[in-house]
Amino acid sequence: MSLKLDPTTSIHRRLLILLLPPLALLMVAGGFADYRASMVFMRTAYDQSLTDAAVAQAALLKVVDGKIYAQPPSQPQPHANRAEKFYYSIWGPDHLLISGNPQLAGTSAGEGNLAYADGWLGNHRIRVVTYRVPTTAGVATVNVAETTSRREAARHFILTSTWLMDFILVDATLLLVWVGVRHGLKPLLAVRGQIESRSPRELRPLETAAVPAEVRPLVDALNGLFEVLREAARSQRQFVADAAHQLRTPIAGLVGHLELLTQDPAAAGLESRLAVLRDGMSRVAHSANQLLALARAEPTANLADHFQDTDLVPLVERVIERNVDRSVKASLDLGADLGAASVAGSAWLIEDLLGNLVDNALNYTPAGGHVTVRCGGGSSEPYLEVEDDGLGIPEAERSRVRQRFYRLPGSTGHGCGLGLAIVEEIARLHRAAVTIDAGAGGHGTRIRVQFPAFGGISQGKTANTVTS
Amino acid sequence: MRILVVEDNDLVADAIARGLGLAGFAVDRAPSAEVAATALAAEHFDLAVVDIGLPGEDGLTFVRRLRSQGATLPVLILTARETVAMRVEALDLGADDFLMKPFEQSELAARCRALIRRANLNTNGQLNFGRLRIDVAGRQLRIDDKQVELTGREWLVLECLAFSAGRVVSKERLQQTIARWDQAMTPNAVEVYVSRVRAKLADAALIRTVRGLGYRLDEPEA
Repeated sequence: MSLKLDPTTSIHRRLLILLLPPLALLMVAGGFADYRASMVFMRTAYDQSLTDAAVAQAALLKVVDGKIYAQPPSQPQPHANRAEKFYYSIWGPDHLLISGNPQLAGTSAGEGNLAYADGWLGNHRIRVVTYRVPTTAGVATVNVAETTSRREAARHFILTSTWLMDFILVDATLLLVWVGVRHGLKPLLAVRGQIESRSPRELRPLETAAVPAEVRPLVDALNGLFEVLREAARSQRQFVADAAHQLRTPIAGLVGHLELLTQDPAAAGLESRLAVLRDGMSRVAHSANQLLALARAEPTANLADHFQDTDLVPLVERVIERNVDRSVKASLDLGADLGAASVAGSAWLIEDLLGNLVDNALNYTPAGGHVTVRCGGGSSEPYLEVEDDGLGIPEAERSRVRQRFYRLPGSTGHGCGLGLAIVEEIARLHRAAVTIDAGAGGHGTRIRVQFPAFGGISQGKTANTVTS
Repeated sequence: MRILVVEDNDLVADAIARGLGLAGFAVDRAPSAEVAATALAAEHFDLAVVDIGLPGEDGLTFVRRLRSQGATLPVLILTARETVAMRVEALDLGADDFLMKPFEQSELAARCRALIRRANLNTNGQLNFGRLRIDVAGRQLRIDDKQVELTGREWLVLECLAFSAGRVVSKERLQQTIARWDQAMTPNAVEVYVSRVRAKLADAALIRTVRGLGYRLDEPEA
C-alpha cells in the first residue's frame, strides 16, 4: 500500500492517517461478521422450535386402510403468542391436501427430510419448514409455518446492538489511537519545544536525557553543530583579544612618545609636523579601536548565553564620566536624564554602543551645544537615547550613515565611518531598534535605541526575547 | 612620589616612564612581575602601574598575590585586551583603577595623582588637591596656607567631593551624605550647599556640574 503523503506532513497527522482508516474499516468488517454469526444462531434456534412443531404434527398422523389421516393440532403451538401466527398443511403422497391450509405449499428445496424456506402467505412473511414423513401409506409432507415478526424483532435487536457495540468500539479505538499517538510523540514535542524556546543566538547544547532513541542522532548532530559554532565564537573572541593586544600596545607606545615629543623643548620648531603626526596617530588608534569594537560585536563572536541582566543607569554614568573632560575641552554641555532601565545583554557591548553615539554627538556638535544622554522605560520598553543640538543628519542621509565606512559629506574629525555601523551591529545583537530623528525643535540629532522588553534572565532557562 | 611601572613592552614602558617623569614622579621600571615583586619588597613605592599582559606571571595574578601578601599600595591596571569580565575582575582583585591602551599621557598622570591622593587620605587623613590642603581628621581646609571656615554641611559636601576628586559624585550621594545631618534635605538644598562651597573655594578649585548626574571636583582650568 503506498499512501501519498506530503513529506512535510506532521508525524502526528501521518500516524493518524495511516492508523485510523484501516482500523475503522477493520472494525466495520468485524461488526458485520458478528452480525452474520448472531443471525445464524438466531435462525437456527427459531427453526428448531418450528421443526419441533412439525415433528409433533407428524406424530399425529395415522394410517387407516392405506390412507393417511391427520388430527388438527390439539395443543397450543409452541412459541404461540399473540404476535405470531402459525399455519400448517399436510399433503399426501399423491400431493392431495390431507389437512391444514391449502395455500401453504411445501418447499421443494432440498431432498433432505427437513427443509426450510422463507416465503409469503398472503401478505404475511413466513418461515416454512417441510418435514417428509414416511408412513406405510407412502410419504406424507408436513409443512409448518410461522410469521416472522419475532424473527424480525430479534434481527433488529441484533443489528442494533452489533452496530451500537461497533460504533462504541470504533470511537474508543479512535480515541485510544489519538491519545496514544499524542502521548507517544511527547518526547519529540519536548525536543521541539526546547529548540523553539531558545533565542537564535543561543548555542547551549540541547538536553539529551529525555530524548527518544530515534531522535537522539538528530539532537546529537545539532549539539555537535552548536559546539562547532561555540568553538568558532571562542576563537573569534580570542582573535579579537589577541589582535587588540598586538595593535594597541605599540599604538600606546607611539601615542605616548609623540605626546612627550610635543612637550620636549628639543622639538621646538617642529610643532606643526608633530601635530600632523599626532593627528595621524590618533586616527590610527581610533580606527583600531573601532575595528576591534566591530569585530567584538560580530554575531559570530557573541552567544546569547553570555547576556546578563544589565542595568543601563550605571552604564550611562560610566560613559558620561569618561567623556566629561572631552566635552569640557570642546565647550559642550554633556548631561544625562536618567530613568530606570534594564535589558538582557552584554554590558560591555552596550557601553561600546553608547560610547559611539556619544562620540558622534560630541564630534558633530559645535562649541556651546548640548549633548544629552537618556535612558528609561524600565524593563518593559527599555531605551537609550542620545540627543544633540548640533549639525543634524539630513533625512536623506539617515539610512546611509548606518553603513560601514560611510561618512557624511564634508564631515571632519577622526571618524572612520564605523561608529553607527558598530551601533547597528550591537543593536541587532540585542534585537534593539535604532531610530535616527531630528532633535527637539528640529535641530540636531536624536538617536534612540529601543530594546525589547526584559523578562529577566535566570540561569539555565532561556530568556524569552521579543522579536523586533 | 615614586611609581613602579610594570610593563614588558619597551616602547610603552619608556613612554610611560618619561611621561610620568615629566609630570613630577620618580619612576622605576620592571619588565616582569617577578622583577616587580623584588623591587616592591626592597623599596617603598607610592603606586604601581601594572600591565595585564606580562610575560610569565600575568598582571592580574600579580595584583592578587600583592593583595594577599597585604600590600596596600594603590595599583593602576593597564590593558590592551578587553573582555567582558576583565575590568570587573581587575577591580575585584584589588586594583584601584583601570586604563585602556592607548591612553593620553596626561590622563595617566591625572589618574596616578588621584590614586596617590586617595591613598594619602586613607593613611594620614590628608588630602592635597591643587591649592587645597584638606585635613579630614582635623576638619580643616587651607587654601594656599590660609584657613577657610566651613559649616558642618559644607564640610560634608567638600569631603565627599574630595574623596572622589576627579570623579563624578552623584547628587543623590551628596544628598544622602548631608541627610545624615538634616533629614529634610531636598535636591535643591544640595545645590545650595554646593554653590556655597563653590564660592568659598573661589578660584582654588572647581566644582563642575555634570548635568543630570552630579558634581566633580576639578583643579581649576589653566
